Amino acid sequence: MAFFGFIRVRHLRLLVRAAVGVGFVIAPLSGLAKERDTTPDPAAVPTFERHIMPMLTARGCNGGGCHGKSGGQNGFALSLLGFDPEGDYQSLLMQSRGRRLNLSAPHESLLLQKATGAVPHGGGRRLDPDDEDTRLLLKWIADGGPRDPPGVPRLSHIVISPEPRPLEAGETIPLVVMAHDTDGSTRDVTAVTAFASNEPVIVSVQPDGVVTGGSLPGEASVMARFMGHIATWNTFVPRAGRIHADAWAALPVNNFIDEMAWRKLRAINILPSDPVDDATFLRRAFLDAIGRLPSPQEARRFLADANRRKRDQLVEALLERPEYADRWANLWADLVRPNPYRVGIKATLSLDTFLRDAFAHNLPYDRFVGELITATGSVWRNGAAVIYRDRRSPDEIVTLVSQLFLGVRLECAKCHQHPFEVYGQGDFYGLAAYFSRVGYAGKGLSPPISGGEESVIVKTSGEVTHPLTGAVLAPKPLGGNAAAEPVEGDRRVALMTWLRSPNHPTFAAAAVNRIWAEFFGVGLVDPVDDFRATNPSSNPELLAALATKFRDNAFDQKRLIALIMKSHLYGLSSMTNETNAGDHRNYSRHYRRRLRAEMIADAIDDVTGVPSNYAGAPPETRAARLWTHRTGSMFLDVFGRPDPNQDPPCERIGDATVVQAMHLMNGSHLQGKVSSDDGRVAALATGDIAPEAIVEELYLAAYSRLPTDAEKKQVLPMFSREGMTRRAAAEDLLWALMNTPEFIFVN
Amino acid sequence: MRDFLRPFGNSALARRTWLQLGLGGLAGGSLPGLLGLVQQAEAEEAGGGDQSTRRRPANCILIWMDGGPSHMETFDPKPDAPAEMRGEFKPIRTNVPGIEICEHLPKLAKIADKYAILRSVHHNQGNHGAGNHYMMTGAPPRIPVGCGAFVSFHPSLGSVAAHERSAPHGLPGYFSLPGMTRSGGPNFLGSEYAPFVVSDDPNSKDFRVRDLALPRGVDEARFRARRELRGLVDALPRIDDPAAADPVRTLDGHYEQGYQMVMTPEAQQAFQIEQEPDAIRDAYGRDPFGQRLLLARRLVESGVPFVTINQGGWDDHSELWSNLRKRLPPWDQAVATLISDLDDRGLLANTMVIALGEFGRTPKISTVSGRSSPGRDHWSSAMSILFAGAGTPGGQVIGATDRLGHAPIDRPLSPENFVSTVYTKLGIDPGKHFITPAGRPTFLVSDPTPIRELLG
Repeated sequence: MAFFGFIRVRHLRLLVRAAVGVGFVIAPLSGLAKERDTTPDPAAVPTFERHIMPMLTARGCNGGGCHGKSGGQNGFALSLLGFDPEGDYQSLLMQSRGRRLNLSAPHESLLLQKATGAVPHGGGRRLDPDDEDTRLLLKWIADGGPRDPPGVPRLSHIVISPEPRPLEAGETIPLVVMAHDTDGSTRDVTAVTAFASNEPVIVSVQPDGVVTGGSLPGEASVMARFMGHIATWNTFVPRAGRIHADAWAALPVNNFIDEMAWRKLRAINILPSDPVDDATFLRRAFLDAIGRLPSPQEARRFLADANRRKRDQLVEALLERPEYADRWANLWADLVRPNPYRVGIKATLSLDTFLRDAFAHNLPYDRFVGELITATGSVWRNGAAVIYRDRRSPDEIVTLVSQLFLGVRLECAKCHQHPFEVYGQGDFYGLAAYFSRVGYAGKGLSPPISGGEESVIVKTSGEVTHPLTGAVLAPKPLGGNAAAEPVEGDRRVALMTWLRSPNHPTFAAAAVNRIWAEFFGVGLVDPVDDFRATNPSSNPELLAALATKFRDNAFDQKRLIALIMKSHLYGLSSMTNETNAGDHRNYSRHYRRRLRAEMIADAIDDVTGVPSNYAGAPPETRAARLWTHRTGSMFLDVFGRPDPNQDPPCERIGDATVVQAMHLMNGSHLQGKVSSDDGRVAALATGDIAPEAIVEELYLAAYSRLPTDAEKKQVLPMFSREGMTRRAAAEDLLWALMNTPEFIFVN
Repeated sequence: MRDFLRPFGNSALARRTWLQLGLGGLAGGSLPGLLGLVQQAEAEEAGGGDQSTRRRPANCILIWMDGGPSHMETFDPKPDAPAEMRGEFKPIRTNVPGIEICEHLPKLAKIADKYAILRSVHHNQGNHGAGNHYMMTGAPPRIPVGCGAFVSFHPSLGSVAAHERSAPHGLPGYFSLPGMTRSGGPNFLGSEYAPFVVSDDPNSKDFRVRDLALPRGVDEARFRARRELRGLVDALPRIDDPAAADPVRTLDGHYEQGYQMVMTPEAQQAFQIEQEPDAIRDAYGRDPFGQRLLLARRLVESGVPFVTINQGGWDDHSELWSNLRKRLPPWDQAVATLISDLDDRGLLANTMVIALGEFGRTPKISTVSGRSSPGRDHWSSAMSILFAGAGTPGGQVIGATDRLGHAPIDRPLSPENFVSTVYTKLGIDPGKHFITPAGRPTFLVSDPTPIRELLG
């Protein structure tokens, strides 16, 4: 069934409309034109902003796949989803030698000829010659293609009704979108509004605004967009079935995290999984907090400890370990570490040193960010300044700052109105203006060497201009109501003051969310750096409480982590119960994750007792201590450490691949360590330790637990098999242990 | 803006629009969901597309001449150029009247009827990193990049092939020998589609493939015993409900594929180059490059859709002619043998053989300061590409550069045209639409127009 054949079925009235800047939602809307009460009176004077632009948007003309993409299509460019009326008007009336609109012979206008398919059009037929819109368009052209005269009411905002509420599976509700104009009048624009659901499997939305609860329980956000204005309708579908009140009452509450998590789970009618055993908790806590496995001795001691508070004590002890700094510095290194080929090797090391120092001293988060944002001085001496060596213009640094510290992806707004947000170019360049006076002294970049010393300085002049209007933009923070005081001195200091202030909507929440995701595998807002109305938090109450707590505790990351790790929620099993297999957002079970590249490399070194020797690093350097991904390691590459050549260079690949499986299964890396004469196996096998003790030791090393009796019974006969040496048996066992998901995953 | 090149009513565009139907309501949706929908739409579209995409999907051996081979000294000789530009080599006739190539490619000259020569591909990226990216992905780098850069802004030909096609016996769909080309990675497709790199030298006596052959010290019996033991100690419970999307189950699939590769004779045989008769191995040339081409043939024979042979050293800023006198003869021998060998086995009809680098070289001869012997510098305004197999009509030259080799004067073609041709022959719609993990919609090739002369 070809698309064009479908659209040519003349008896169907089709509404083609742009959606999410990608493409089109197409649905037959029988008799729509008759029902649509927004259809303007044909006698009225149609105007550009009020009538023609919504039509172009509704017909998909300015979608991201067509004329709305950068540079347009076939020489005809419109702004994406109509964010720039002025430019679009120019494009239609002035460009192409006026062929697009023929004011004296409206029917001859290329716009109409193309849209109705009278002349070949790559985008196919978009208007029926008999359509109301066609008549409207003709009238507008015949009138001389007027823009809105001054004084005509403008669109103020849009409102969705009814109020959001939960949906049962299969239940439908028609949404109505009202446009509120500046004169206070309202009109129903549902028929020309684009709708999208962020989770269509849970809640779907039809082009006419009818939402339907799906068969999967969970939450969803329905977005409505009309002429650059956005409204959201957040809802959820509770799981069917009854849970006895006693089950809720029996859930432990260690702190407010549990309280709020249970509240949410109760609303969607999902019970959390059982808690994990001590061994699983131990391994999970070590890997999550400090990125390494417990030694067999540590595991043995913890498992034997009868103290009821031992999990809390473990958490506190872990936070004081030196590996803590490396584990968290690596998270931030992933986010800000530049390509050394671009900024130079000394600058790369200098930034790495800054990060490790910050986490070693548990530098409060607001001060940590302050050091980065307001950095000055030599990039060889102040590692924080290196972000400015890498990102050298206001528009480059602003995307980093907004994404990392505000949790807002602003990249889109550099070139056009963000397709699912309120942000436009004015916001982008307004934020960029805080960085317009960052200057440089010394040797700049000269890739691929870039060896020189450079200093970041604050200049006394420098402005950012709007790319369309050319107007000089004053520094303007994103969202919220920052004090509109004149900014003196280093503009970045003013930005930092605003970020730190208790009124900032996302600064603390973005940080908390990022840390939370490290423990639970998915952020309360997911992706962690994509805060927007159309991508709501799965538990806004909990995120707000965590952010407040973080701020109240002077942005102390260790205290936040302790709070998270001591919650009952953190210790839940990854195994499902009857209610929660479909839950991927509300933490009713622990979500399994593959160990990060450095963690698994270090775990193999620890378990086998054979350190890796990384080129250019001191002997026995752990992967978690490497300060550049240029350090050669096939193992780390295979396991998806960020590739400094990628754009951006910080993309870390967390998924499992067959190449990884092969590398563990057959790679000389693991085999060499397992069979090394200097390793754990050799040491265990050459002594006169009983095979049973060898098995226990290897289980403790790889799995952080003792083997069960059944496991011992299965494994031990191998040691006495004909022709098998103790050494070979132990090697095989360790190989096998490290090739299972129990080793490869944080469970 | 290259869109004006796209013909009206292009079926790729129609398909693209269709693909978008499934995507409209998915703002902020999950990548797997989006890709799944794309694939679903693709499946519904199966049987569509134009004639050329309905042909049986071909495999591809891509011979990458890293550094940028001189077009004048390979497939676009300029005997009429003045002395300061002509160089030291002469053209020779091929077995196709009217087609002449460099005198140091005599073996290829004898089989010019089996391949086409593209002389009019050109672009605007004069740095190695950027040129490599453009030719390897069909997309120019989004930001300026330097010569030393290894960049990836878009998936490479091979990664896309692996994503869209699969190989039997658990074999990966994309190999790169002996290393990945600068921009030969998967970008947003994910690491699953990175090339399987065989860095080992098939010309060495004890050639083994990393991770595919059993490690030293582990024979087959021990491997089997280990596999059995692994079953015993693998105690982590799996989550049965598919709604839970247990990632451990994905890993199980990867181990199964791995075991299959190790234990399936067909998969292992692909790498057993020692099974080739001496005469064949000699014909390819007893050097790493020749034997890699032979290994590539064995891989496509086993059903691998895409193999890249990455050979460096073509960046001849100085000592151009003395270098090429040494480099061209074994190259000529290996490539000519590959084409003939594939043809003899009936494989050429279904296998592309493509040779190119990131750009051509300057028509003007120059001497880099500090060097005594001259060479040619980077020149992206003109380059030559050898293109054989998979229905490509041989014995033709497509496009032409001017008398001096500066720029196309006939049938100018873009990297987009080139990669679209490769995709089309691979059975992949070059106009395919993807959503990156960041949610950005992107097309496989911005101008998905293949080179019609190569489609046959």
